[in-house]
Amino acid sequence: MSRPWLLSGLYFLTCVPAGAEQAAEAGIVSYNRDIRPILSDKCFACHGMDSKKRKADLRLDVLEEAVKPLKEGTPLVPGNPDASLVWQRIVSVDPEEVMPPPDSHKTLKAEEKEILRRWISQGAAYQKHWAFEPPVHRVLPDPETQPLLDQLVDARLDAANLIPLAAAERPVLIRRVSFALTGLPPSLEEREQFLGDNHPEAYERMVDRYLASPRYGEEMARHWLDVARYADTHGLHLDNERQMWAYRDWVVRAFNNNQPFDQFTVEQLAGDLLPEATQEQLIATGFNRCNVTTGEGGSIDAEQLFRYAVDRASTTAQTWLGLTVGCAACHDHKYDPVSQKEFYSFYAFFHSNADPAMDGNTLLTNPVMKIKPPDYQTKVAAFEEKRDALQAALNAKTATVGYQDPAEQNPPPEVTETEVIWFDDAFPAGAQTGVAGHPQQLVEKPAPVASGQRSLKRSGEGMAQDYYQSGAAPLEVPAGGRVFLQVYLDPQDTPEEIMIQFHTGEWLHRAWWGQDIIPFGAVGTTQRFGAGPLPETGKWVPLEVEASSMGLLPGMKISGIAFTVHGGTAYFDRLGIKGRLDPATDPSRSFTAWRKSVAGKDLPEVPAALRGWLKEGPDKERSGIELQQLRGYYLQNVCAGTAAALVAEKGALKEASKELEAYLESIPSTFIFRDLEQPRDSFVMKRGQYDQPGEKVEPGTPAVLPPLARAGTRANRLDLARWLVAPEHPLVARVTVNRFWQQVFGTGLVKSSHDFGTQGDLPSHPELLDGLALHFQKSGWNVKGLMRLMLISQTFRRTSAAPAEAWQADPDNRWLARGSRFRLDAEQLRDQALFAGGLLDLTMGGRGVNPYQPPNIWEPVAYTGSNTRNYVQSAGTGVHRRSLYTFYKRTAPAPFMINFDAPSREQACTRRERSNTPLQALQLMNDVQHFEAARALAERTLLLGGATPESRIGFACRTVLNREPTEEERVALLQFQQSRLEKYRVAPAEALKAITFGTVKPSDVLKEPELASWTLVANLLLNLDEAVTRP
Amino acid sequence: MNPLSEYQQLLTRRNFFGHSGLRLGGMALTYLLGRDLAGAAAPAAVHPPLPGLPHFAAKAKAVIYLHMNGGPSQLDLWDYKPGLKNHFNKDLPRSFLGERITTMTSGQTSFPVAPSKFKFAQHGQSGRWVSELLPHTAKIVDDIALVKTVHTNAINHDPACTFLMTGSEIPGKASLGSWISYGLGSAANDLPAFVALMPRFPESGNGQALFSRMWGSGFLPGRHAGVVLRSAGDPVLYLENPPGVDRSDRRAMLDVLNQFNQRSFERVGDPDIQTRISQYEMAYRLQASVPELADLSKESPATLEMYGPEVKTPGSFASSALLARRLVERGVRVVQIMHRGWDSHGDLPHQLGNQCLDTDRGTAALVQDLKQRGLLDDVLVIWGGEFGRTVYSQGTLTQENYGRDHHPRNFCMWMAGGGIKGGIVHGETDDFSYNPVADPVHINEINATMLHCLGIDHERFSLKFQGLDQRLTGVESVSVVKNLLA
Repeated sequence: MSRPWLLSGLYFLTCVPAGAEQAAEAGIVSYNRDIRPILSDKCFACHGMDSKKRKADLRLDVLEEAVKPLKEGTPLVPGNPDASLVWQRIVSVDPEEVMPPPDSHKTLKAEEKEILRRWISQGAAYQKHWAFEPPVHRVLPDPETQPLLDQLVDARLDAANLIPLAAAERPVLIRRVSFALTGLPPSLEEREQFLGDNHPEAYERMVDRYLASPRYGEEMARHWLDVARYADTHGLHLDNERQMWAYRDWVVRAFNNNQPFDQFTVEQLAGDLLPEATQEQLIATGFNRCNVTTGEGGSIDAEQLFRYAVDRASTTAQTWLGLTVGCAACHDHKYDPVSQKEFYSFYAFFHSNADPAMDGNTLLTNPVMKIKPPDYQTKVAAFEEKRDALQAALNAKTATVGYQDPAEQNPPPEVTETEVIWFDDAFPAGAQTGVAGHPQQLVEKPAPVASGQRSLKRSGEGMAQDYYQSGAAPLEVPAGGRVFLQVYLDPQDTPEEIMIQFHTGEWLHRAWWGQDIIPFGAVGTTQRFGAGPLPETGKWVPLEVEASSMGLLPGMKISGIAFTVHGGTAYFDRLGIKGRLDPATDPSRSFTAWRKSVAGKDLPEVPAALRGWLKEGPDKERSGIELQQLRGYYLQNVCAGTAAALVAEKGALKEASKELEAYLESIPSTFIFRDLEQPRDSFVMKRGQYDQPGEKVEPGTPAVLPPLARAGTRANRLDLARWLVAPEHPLVARVTVNRFWQQVFGTGLVKSSHDFGTQGDLPSHPELLDGLALHFQKSGWNVKGLMRLMLISQTFRRTSAAPAEAWQADPDNRWLARGSRFRLDAEQLRDQALFAGGLLDLTMGGRGVNPYQPPNIWEPVAYTGSNTRNYVQSAGTGVHRRSLYTFYKRTAPAPFMINFDAPSREQACTRRERSNTPLQALQLMNDVQHFEAARALAERTLLLGGATPESRIGFACRTVLNREPTEEERVALLQFQQSRLEKYRVAPAEALKAITFGTVKPSDVLKEPELASWTLVANLLLNLDEAVTRP
Repeated sequence: MNPLSEYQQLLTRRNFFGHSGLRLGGMALTYLLGRDLAGAAAPAAVHPPLPGLPHFAAKAKAVIYLHMNGGPSQLDLWDYKPGLKNHFNKDLPRSFLGERITTMTSGQTSFPVAPSKFKFAQHGQSGRWVSELLPHTAKIVDDIALVKTVHTNAINHDPACTFLMTGSEIPGKASLGSWISYGLGSAANDLPAFVALMPRFPESGNGQALFSRMWGSGFLPGRHAGVVLRSAGDPVLYLENPPGVDRSDRRAMLDVLNQFNQRSFERVGDPDIQTRISQYEMAYRLQASVPELADLSKESPATLEMYGPEVKTPGSFASSALLARRLVERGVRVVQIMHRGWDSHGDLPHQLGNQCLDTDRGTAALVQDLKQRGLLDDVLVIWGGEFGRTVYSQGTLTQENYGRDHHPRNFCMWMAGGGIKGGIVHGETDDFSYNPVADPVHINEINATMLHCLGIDHERFSLKFQGLDQRLTGVESVSVVKNLLA
């Protein structure tokens, strides 16, 4: 491509900031370019938008205010610096007078003063901040074509006296494109295909192949999920797991399907408000459920709801407006025209959230939605049909069962009493006993023993106990149960409290005697039943307590027992349960007794049709059919006497119901966003305090931006979303295009991609940003189209290898004379190593996986009760999935991610840092993930890389570096390999250790020393700067 | 200064350990490889300070922050209220209760006063009242400044810990250790500037969570995040070579790696490649320096005795305390020990007793050890939790047993060493230890005072992020507590 106006030749080594240089060139001071940054930095904090912090009643951010005369003089007299109070104060030498004041720790540089003086003398013209003006085509009328992008870049290069470099070589290009679009290196096949393609558009065709890859959506999603602060845990306190990975997968699909960005926006912010919202649109609303939430006991609801709405409002503004409105939660924004009232109007869109203040520490905090697969209805119908048929069969069988109500028998049937011993001399057979405190002591006489040979002695300074909760056959609670036991308290060491506890899947049943110290169970419930004072000491005392007062009901199965003391010694013996069965009055035997026992109650487990009849009690007249239905239900579900006769049919029905339940349970759910039926009132919160409501506000948008169109009387999120993507919005397209540019080129055209306000950076190429923004809108918000436009530009294709002078002239490559070169992101580094080793499992979607992680990352920080306390490594190839699918625990994110600057996802992150640290070097050299991958690459090299060491070096270099090695490299690598081989031949045990690090078994056809030495070669290659960098 | 080296110095944002030995081309390499040192200039600091810092002469060069996670009870340790005996089990006057109490106890029908069951006695020249639970700390009271009136905004663990360590209840801000690393760098060339330790804690303790944001770097460059020194597995993540790979293998590999990277640099010109070379060398050095650090075998028997028998158990509080001394000795700027289990909602006397047993001796030994070595003048030691506990009992109250809920309105912290006046007490609370009656100190003021001791003016120590001048001490104006300064 020819650029006639650019002459090849020497570099002009200047490094003057473009703004100043252009201003100097034109001689005309621009408010936006030259003045606002100075005023914003040095003056607006006290003389800007924030009315509360304004000093001397002087406002410098708007002309009308700045020219109003004050007592001391007129702040700004356009055209006359010397008559302007502002200028007088700037040049004053009096510390009482000079501005900015010394205690602000802000000073104006000489050149800043000079430019301010010139601005005033040129008439002190103000401009609206550039980002709030609509984008315009300032250079050429038609921005459709690729060369325009290059023309706009080159025009700036020309102005900066920089010469663009030539295109990089094909091996570099494919690696660059492959990483930019898929986050993975090119495969050897992809490489060969591109290098061998003689078509004039070979490059474009290669770009298109990657755009069509399903890996594209994964790479694009990764960047978006940083912004959306997506993670797999709630983020605060317990930091338990939450289930909303369907949202993550939705984002991947949206990019792969090239969903237009305006729809992408509307569905995430307001999918639930769209008419007849689809399942996909509801999943998308997960964006606003990605914020951190708490379930910490003691939290105040209003405070949490306030915080969630602030987070959602700030994240939305950050993501689409590129504005840091969060500041205005506490006060008017000091720098950008967003008042506190406007912030809370924006917040009001999100403040009627239906999700609760407390997340409950559960996997699914409402509102949630089941993600139904396409065949859901058919499957459920089939299950239901089967179940209904079995129910009919059960009904038919029930009609044949003979049953006579014992209450109607004359003479009434006999009453039977039972007694079962659960503990005497020993815990039940098989019980897996445990203790808190000293080891278990079953003592014999002369120690106190009430029954049999032994009793259980238990002492402790605080709480101490003997218990089991598994291993023994279940113990059944009989009708009319009363638990009894014998207790002997040591008179020399009397406990403050004794307790018995029963386990029925959980420890939920307790009775205690003495003082209520042991903090188990909710006070005043059957979990903590106060059975009376301590028994007399120094003798065996029988104790008895109603089973029902501990919540132990007839038929319940007990799986564990505990004997507990606090602060003393007790002996326990002969614990058991008595039962008393009177069939005529027992609800499990007598239909009438059952109806009496449930009269007046609402039984949720009973079918709705019968519920009302039961509630009315047995005295109410019932028709024959009604009675038959009630009786049928009773015989099938309650009556103990008929259970045996119906066991087969009931079993089959239960099995079928279970199948249905299991199917329903197997269907995952995801968090969705909903509003309350009745919106909450929202207020300006004074000083950002949740309990200091001020003026009431309605949902609305900042006045500096175009007006909001409302569909109803009260603006809602759908109005907001549509407002964002309306053609006249000046920010959204620019902010979005800029983030994609940053993704592709490493740095945004606006470097502060999170801040397009007055404190942010000015665009390096304003015409280009505007041109791309307009093009993006006009293209129907076509993301793949935009990515393609950037990737096929000559600007993107330039080589990044440049002479030192070029690096010096433009260290951050803001002018793009060379290709951008930067370190790969955390996920890309790990995925690349797995890919090179042929280990990468490309399965898409689903619950997050746990790859290799060093021990003690989660455990030392987590709260005892957290369900993400213990890290359990995924089985099989779960350890080799793409990094996008790594389970994201916010309070202790995966170290391989954090170490390479991945965010904790506690709040939105629009741009990752790219650090370069020794801890990263340690990870890439030593982490099992990387070392196992190196071993796998060594195997591939030995098996696929030809028979000679030279060809193998070539294979490994092509795989990792995407190029052939130089002669120097070949020699050095072979020498290194040989020297290691010698070592491992002498120490084969060491070789074995090296090649068995990880879970995948090494190939057994390769010799251990050989494989180990090549593993180190692969490890070396994967650690090269060239390998960890997008070239 | 020539333009290129000046430019290279400007690159500090990009690397954790700064540009150690980053010179033009081959010279850096020869230095790094430890060959041909003759003629090479002394290396630049690995963790350079920000230009202009410290703002003024620092009293303290390092900080050891002992964080008792969960909220230790001021009433049972430091804030002696003998008069409470007369209020046993009587309802706390309702006038004391504000709106903002946690919903764990706000539903209680009564708020019975629970006097501490522990004996207090006066210690030291200063006659400080100290609970019998802290017999060792009681011996160092003349070295410490006790603040009885610290208060915070948050009522729950997560926000309170986040606030204590980052100056904000909302996650995302930089931790105090990372701020100090960012501002002052450190003199440790073979170790990180900021190290975090998480010792074991008693099983009886109610172990509230820690959060990586408590030592994270928030909006600051990631290299300022605390490096966790672990008691199990690799002391620093990924420090050990893989099985079957030894130090000579690594040396051989690094020689080739450096050579190739140097070639890349010559071909491409990216200064980041030079940084990468130096970081790989630093990694190699860390592989030697960290194990040396963790090896306590050269400590004298007298020193070990001072810390108690637990010092020999890796991961104990005592061994962490000794490691903290070794770290600051080697130039590490901030050491943060986070000990968990102080959240005694119930069974407090028993739980708190165990917590103190676990930490008291090591804490006192640390201060004494630093003092004996003349290091205490240079090292600021801070002790405290994220809030205190209520005078009223949570759950059932007896003479012998009680629990206490969270109490943010006043709690006790102490500071000792560099820049701090020993043997003083600051602030006074009312008879129920419920509100300060004199000299309240906000948690941000503790942090402002800490920064002051380090030679940093907290108001000028800011970084622009999300449109705000972010400070560790928040946006509201707070003051250094002058009374605490030596």
